[in-house]
Amino acid sequence: MRTLVNYLKLAAAYTRLNLDAQLEYRGAFYSQVVAMFINNCIWVWFWVLFFGRFKVLRGWDINDVVTLWCIAASGFGLAHTVCGNALQLAVLIARGQLDVWMLYPRALLPHILLGRMSATAWGDAIFGYIVYLIFVKPDLPHFALFVALTVSIAFLFVGFSIFTGSLTFFLGNSESLAEQWRYAMITFSTYPATLFEGAVKILLYTLIPAVFVSYYPIIALRQLSLSHALIAVAGSAAVVAAGVFVFYYGLRRYESGNLMEMRG
Amino acid sequence: MSSGITVADKYWWISLTSAKSNLAYLAEIGSRVFFLGVILYIFLRLWQVTYSETGSQTLGGLSLPQMLWYLAITESIILSGPRVAQSVDQDVRTGAISIHFIRPLSYPLYCLFNTLGERAVRFFVNMSVGALISVVFVGFVPMNWLGFFCFLTVLPLAFVIDFLGNFLIGLAAFWLEDTNGLVLIYSRMTMILGGMLIPLELFPDSWQATLKMLPFSAVVYGPARLFVSPDLAFYQDILFRQVVACIFFALAVAFVFRIASRRVFANGG
Repeated sequence: MRTLVNYLKLAAAYTRLNLDAQLEYRGAFYSQVVAMFINNCIWVWFWVLFFGRFKVLRGWDINDVVTLWCIAASGFGLAHTVCGNALQLAVLIARGQLDVWMLYPRALLPHILLGRMSATAWGDAIFGYIVYLIFVKPDLPHFALFVALTVSIAFLFVGFSIFTGSLTFFLGNSESLAEQWRYAMITFSTYPATLFEGAVKILLYTLIPAVFVSYYPIIALRQLSLSHALIAVAGSAAVVAAGVFVFYYGLRRYESGNLMEMRG
Repeated sequence: MSSGITVADKYWWISLTSAKSNLAYLAEIGSRVFFLGVILYIFLRLWQVTYSETGSQTLGGLSLPQMLWYLAITESIILSGPRVAQSVDQDVRTGAISIHFIRPLSYPLYCLFNTLGERAVRFFVNMSVGALISVVFVGFVPMNWLGFFCFLTVLPLAFVIDFLGNFLIGLAAFWLEDTNGLVLIYSRMTMILGGMLIPLELFPDSWQATLKMLPFSAVVYGPARLFVSPDLAFYQDILFRQVVACIFFALAVAFVFRIASRRVFANGG
């Protein structure tokens, strides 16, 4: 318990420092946040147009799809405001840039992940919570469940990035592979899971675990179902466990890039 | 510069060199078509379900095979776009733009032809994959040579308009701290208002006339619609709108570039 509190404090300290660093370029930071917010609004607008013409899609209506966009965006945003380096893991490994992180007394993986913040992730996070409140107008239990599920999805995205990024230990430079895989995950996560059948459905439970974003959380919120919420959380936990295992297993194969680096 | 080389030759060679250098990285381009495959599959399912649930043979005047081919082309156009704004932004911030000023080339034209060469290769690769996926899932759509010719003539103009829009955003780096936000919004406007995800005929009726007048539709919707449903009257209409958009944006680029050039300060040796 003490260790957990200790790491939560570390995460809070890093988030504060990373935010301060981002605010050094205030104009750039705000413009990226606003642009991402608008970007997500444009996608929601597309769905509003779509459902304006076709009212229901395999049992899903506009509220479900807006909820999906909100939960996916805020989960992704939360993940990368706190653990922005998850997106850079493949690059750091390929260039042999883990050395600097190995010198610290903390566990290697959480320390790397916390080392950077994505500015646009703020736009995602803010969008998710605000649009959910305004568009879906949830009551308190729904909103509480929504917030809990965004945390679960944030873990899922971080775990998935660790998993795909860590393949670099085995495949050499797999930056492009990790990026494409992540794009596939994000894309599948933002469309109703009920569209897919057969082999693709199996894929969505395994290699691209998008059902834990685009299916179980939505059903959990629609029916206020704890069992669906727990399946979503279990899915996230499994992805994080797989990512952590692959990272530390691959770390044995790590070779330093002998780079001289300073961290400000 | 050899006296035998005309101005047109110069820019043609820039385009050709850019295309050749991109062909050298075909594997890298190939790896990116994976995403195109994912997107097209998702849209195939989305529209298959939509056609099936509405029980319609055509939506917005397009059958399901036409819809998938339409999406293959719109996605190929969008995903083939080089990072023009980011490149201009970098040239401005690093001062590399000043090097271009001492060359016997126009910087905007250099960027335009460099981009066209790169985009031609990317579009060809994307379109090959898009066509393969479309043939596998829905088969061919009726085509004729006239339609194909019309498509091939409007496509380069679509690329030019898109380049000019991105170039203008890149030039904003002379005044703004960061242009990434503008790039993101521009690209999403092109996707949605240009009809990448949904043909303009499926937008609310009251919006369609306005959307068709915007330059975004001349970049995405126009060429794709011509490919799947060739029509001479529509061809003339889209060509006219493309020429107007090109002239308008070219004048805007010339004006902004002229003002921006005065803000370049070169120091050092």
